[in-house]
Amino acid sequence: MAEQEKFDHWEAIQQFSENVSPIDFYLILENWPMFWEGAWQTVTLVGLGLFFAGMIAVPLAVCQVNRVPVLSQVVSAYAYFFRGTPLLLQLYLIYYGFSEIDFIRHSFLWIVFKDAWWCTLIAFTINSAAYTTEILRGAFDQVPRGEVEAAKSCGMSAWKRYIRIIIPSGLRRALPAYSNEVIFMIHGSVVASTVTIIDILGAGRILNGRYYLAYEGFIAAAVIYMIIVFIVTRGFNFWEKQWFAHLRPRET
Amino acid sequence: MTVAESTDTASEGAVNDDVIVVDDLHKSFGSLEVLRGVSLRANNHDVISILGSSGSGKSTFLRCINLLETPSSGRVFVHGELIRMRESANGLVAEDKKQVERIRAKLAMVFQSFNLWSHMTVMENVIEAPIHVLGRPKAEAIELAEKVLQRVGLYDRRDYYPSHLSGGQQQRAAIARALALEPEVMLFDEPTSALDPELVGEVLSIMRGLADEGRTMLVVTHEMGFAREVSDQVMFLHQGQVEEYGPPDQVFDSPKSERFKQFLSGTLD
Repeated sequence: MAEQEKFDHWEAIQQFSENVSPIDFYLILENWPMFWEGAWQTVTLVGLGLFFAGMIAVPLAVCQVNRVPVLSQVVSAYAYFFRGTPLLLQLYLIYYGFSEIDFIRHSFLWIVFKDAWWCTLIAFTINSAAYTTEILRGAFDQVPRGEVEAAKSCGMSAWKRYIRIIIPSGLRRALPAYSNEVIFMIHGSVVASTVTIIDILGAGRILNGRYYLAYEGFIAAAVIYMIIVFIVTRGFNFWEKQWFAHLRPRET
Repeated sequence: MTVAESTDTASEGAVNDDVIVVDDLHKSFGSLEVLRGVSLRANNHDVISILGSSGSGKSTFLRCINLLETPSSGRVFVHGELIRMRESANGLVAEDKKQVERIRAKLAMVFQSFNLWSHMTVMENVIEAPIHVLGRPKAEAIELAEKVLQRVGLYDRRDYYPSHLSGGQQQRAAIARALALEPEVMLFDEPTSALDPELVGEVLSIMRGLADEGRTMLVVTHEMGFAREVSDQVMFLHQGQVEEYGPPDQVFDSPKSERFKQFLSGTLD
């Protein structure tokens, strides 16, 4: 009896959602596993992309700061290309373009490049690395000369100066600019949905395609993106507080 | 020791007491000749003040000793050991970076603008080089750091970041950082010039203390009182050359050089 009542309860909500409410939230709830998986997909792709991009960007930025002959020009050209072209286009070049190259189709590389997920991860990584390199180069350049000289005068080798002084100090300085890069990357990650990956926007698109309900799919996607960006922003705020203790006036 | 090194040492005739010997140092920035043959000999426990108006080359001279600037020509010996340099397209460069790094750690420098590492606390600043350059165990480094911080009166500020300290405190922290290297020579590059007048005293009194305990110090300074009372030798540079050199009494009371007389009357006004 109680079960029957409860059932009616849900039915009523569904009825209301479908026929009265401007947005069919019941449909969204019904499809929430798809959105959940989409969110996971977005977070892993962006997270891994940013991680690998960071690993690439630190040495590249060091190379830029030192103006290493030849290598520095190559890095500049790389940064210029990947910051000068849209991420979507870069993804297409990798996903559609590489499949036309016989050498890649017939080598072990095909295992990677035939897979949309890997292509997307690679596109995110190289794109973000280009931006992050520029951010870090600026940040490393900002480390006061005197602090570097003090490190020299203590007998630190060039390697130690980077590991102990320039990179730790520079990374802190880079944080505000880098938090923007992370948010841009989250927003930019929607391009994954155009190469068969069901990320957050991909889930929204499926909903739209299946039921011709644009609002339900896209508003749900928008809310999820907002939540993720909110969490990331809060995270960066917290991190900045930890790391910028030395730049804030002392609390009295 | 290689044959080349031993002959260099022998030719200089350096005895053990000579901690630093600088021989005929020249330095040019482009066409501007900043140092035009400056020599210096610092014995153990010597405190040598280097005076001169701005642009006289005194800071450059000090920075050439630990190779923060590479001289255009000339030789620098530390404890009889020649810092080896070789010719390159842009003048002299250090031949052996390891040697330079090893010697720099023996010649701790205190800068005009403190140059503390801003992302580290005072304590972290002081233990950084002992741990990561000299390879001391952390516990030992902290123990030494506590001692030197007490010495400069900053023990209770050890967890502060440099930006939360006054200029005088920052410079005292920088002196503590230099002391933690247990250096053989301390190089001071205008240590009080960036300080508000009322903060100069606290830094100078620490430097006096260091001189009293027999440390070898080269001090580029504008503090005539310090130069006169504390130093064993005074060197006056003018346009990249030594104009006057000698014990402070002699130099200040009966200067031979016209320039130095002018300089003195100018600063004493």
